[in-house]
Amino acid sequence: MFYWPIAKITSLGFSGDWLATLSEPKILEVIWFTLWQAALSTLVTLVVAIPGAYLLYRKSFPGQSLIKALITIPFVLPSIVVAVGFTVFRGVHDFWIEFGLTFLSDPIYWIIAAHVFVNYSIAVRTIGGVWSGLDTEIDDAAELDGAGRLRSLLAISLPQLRPAVFSTAALVFLFSATSFGIVLVLGGGQVQTIETAIYFSATQFLDLESAAALVFIQTLITAAAFLVGSSLAKGTVGLEQVFEGTRKPRVDKRDWPAAVVTAGIVLGLLVMPMLLVLVEAFKVGDGWGLRNFANLGTRGARDLLNISVLDAAANSLRNMVVAAGIAFFLGTLISWLLVRTRQKLLDLVFLVPLGVSSVVLGFGFLVSFNSSWFPLRSSWLIVPLAQALIALPMVIRLVYPALVSIGKEPIEQASLDGASSWQIWRFVESGMIKGVLLTAAGYAAIISVGEFGASSFLAYGSEGTIPTLLFRLIARPGEQNYGMAMAVSAILIVFVLLVMLLLSRYSRYKQA
Amino acid sequence: MKKLVSLLAGASLLLASCAPADQAATKVTLVAHDSFAISDESIAEFQEASGFELEIIRAGDAGSLTNRLVLTKDSPIADVVFGIDNTFRGIADENGIIEGELFPVDYADVCFNYDRLWFEKRGMTPPASWRDLTKPSYNSLTVVTNPLSSSPGLAFLAATVAAFGEQSFEQYWKELRDNGVMVAAGWEEAYFIYFSGSSGNGDYPIVLSYSSSPAAEIRENGKSQTAALLEECFRQIEFVGTLAGASNPEGAKALVEFLLSESFQNTMPGLMYVYPVNEKAVIPAEWSEFGPAANSTMGEDLSIATHREKWQTKWSAIFE
Repeated sequence: MFYWPIAKITSLGFSGDWLATLSEPKILEVIWFTLWQAALSTLVTLVVAIPGAYLLYRKSFPGQSLIKALITIPFVLPSIVVAVGFTVFRGVHDFWIEFGLTFLSDPIYWIIAAHVFVNYSIAVRTIGGVWSGLDTEIDDAAELDGAGRLRSLLAISLPQLRPAVFSTAALVFLFSATSFGIVLVLGGGQVQTIETAIYFSATQFLDLESAAALVFIQTLITAAAFLVGSSLAKGTVGLEQVFEGTRKPRVDKRDWPAAVVTAGIVLGLLVMPMLLVLVEAFKVGDGWGLRNFANLGTRGARDLLNISVLDAAANSLRNMVVAAGIAFFLGTLISWLLVRTRQKLLDLVFLVPLGVSSVVLGFGFLVSFNSSWFPLRSSWLIVPLAQALIALPMVIRLVYPALVSIGKEPIEQASLDGASSWQIWRFVESGMIKGVLLTAAGYAAIISVGEFGASSFLAYGSEGTIPTLLFRLIARPGEQNYGMAMAVSAILIVFVLLVMLLLSRYSRYKQA
Repeated sequence: MKKLVSLLAGASLLLASCAPADQAATKVTLVAHDSFAISDESIAEFQEASGFELEIIRAGDAGSLTNRLVLTKDSPIADVVFGIDNTFRGIADENGIIEGELFPVDYADVCFNYDRLWFEKRGMTPPASWRDLTKPSYNSLTVVTNPLSSSPGLAFLAATVAAFGEQSFEQYWKELRDNGVMVAAGWEEAYFIYFSGSSGNGDYPIVLSYSSSPAAEIRENGKSQTAALLEECFRQIEFVGTLAGASNPEGAKALVEFLLSESFQNTMPGLMYVYPVNEKAVIPAEWSEFGPAANSTMGEDLSIATHREKWQTKWSAIFE
């Protein structure tokens, strides 16, 4: 399902002279920009995510799980909603410009900020998931010896976290390098990355030669990022099973640098745009009220919508359960098999799709699959199946490194003790990477909830989802439609928040 | 591994086994762009009257739709296409993807809108035509959409080519750029994020939109906050037609007729914000008052498909 459409696209453009396309100065510029903006986005994300991971996974304080859930929301917000939310920074932005920081008027800085906004949670969660499994004894000993927090971070934790940090870096780099909506919307269509260039050549100019050349380059970059990421992430961490809440120390005064950075990012960058969207949802004319939500119950002005928001939410929920279930099951199984077989090539085959652009995939589907390929098209199942496919590489990408980091020892030990593979998984492995498994299930769920591309092709009429409803509304003029679109965004935000909160509840319940 | 293999095999079997063997006689398939909308009532009406089951496929925007049909013309994905417009029609004609004729099905006029309230408050005169937008008094007040990523953007680019000619339309755009024009990637951002006349938080009082948009901005006093500049707009005309090699030509004919019928055309302004071509179709009252069609249009007679890329490249060079 991944490789066929991509092979098809590439073969359509194969006749052309790739090298000529690739050596055009404009294309080179696009490639260079893609690389450096992704690298910068990754660097900034990591720098702010490490203190966040420390506070949220290594320490305990009230409201922690709410914050963990909150930071995940941006990951699924449609780019137009991100753009609406980011208008909250206009005032600050104008102030900086007045202040003389005119370089900030370049949309590139908005794009990078938005990449941090979207990817912060994935970095915090993947690094934090591993960090919470690290032994605290060395830290404690260092503290007794008078080492400060920063020093023990640099000398003890970071080297231990190296694999997690590098595999997270590879992931964030890929998401930033292939991000489409954010670059398009915040860049006004004037800032080009490989991804937007593919979109313009393929769908606007029908220039499949250039598109194929760019797809080829993008696939190379994806593969390279994984190879570099995984070779730097080598080594096992020796995780041990931890029980959340029992051993984690409370936040204390000496954690203030981490607290300041994290509070700044969470409140200043992540929460403000979402708050603006919530505020807009309750704005009615010059006053406030619930009219936008009330309107949603009625299929909109003149029956613009085929379906009420409640039905759409029910569809989204149903799709989420099916898609996340399939993606989580298959993804965990594939990761487990990958660890057992240790096949480098197989590894790549399953991981590369994550970096392949949705634009390419969408266009590949367009040219590859006719009706006989999608016989399920008339069934609602097709949407969650497609979403499961989209979420699958993400699950693998999260679970696989965690399984690798367990190392061989505990497994060999258990198998010497006569445990079957299933028993080892059930009692040893799954317990050790429980946090990661939960994160993977959570992301699979919210990828399905926020997914728009596949649904817009496949879910119509009474099968609409929350995001398809949102796009239908925001594509029409009028105060009422805009208000309803914001109300739908607010519902999406609350929906994701609840899903993430329920998941963490569930995990704590399981432990108890 | 065995488990995985059998699972995948099972999944592919599931996919394969559901392929209906013979659907030509009972089903008619429509491929349309993403903005296409049809009510459940209309679907039921068509199915009852024609006896064919209606299946709808969506294929991206008008550009993606046309390009997809070109790439799949040897084994057409549908019987009828809705939504190839006059900017992409040339590509459809060149590649012979249509059997017979393309029929106009609806139209919409791409015109600038301005925020009446904003100009009133400041005692300023709104522009009379988009040609005024390069004047210093309208400095940093206008939002347009990128002609590479938005269809109204391309429509306006064509209108400027029609107005100033192949040789000198770039001059207008350079002046527009130097006068602080804002470029948004898509209509949604332009209208809801940058424009002040709708409910977003924008601060640009002039935006590239449609002649009908002011009808959606009627406030409590019964008047629209915005108005459109109705001269020299670009008329986007959308077409419907039977695809070459359609597997159900009879059903295709019935569907095309239905889409042009009064009953379906009546629903189009509400569902798609376009004007119906059928003269008998009813246009909502607020449209006639606040969102009438343009007084004059230009640029539709250019062969847009042939020149598009050249114009867009020239445009990009100015805005890089």
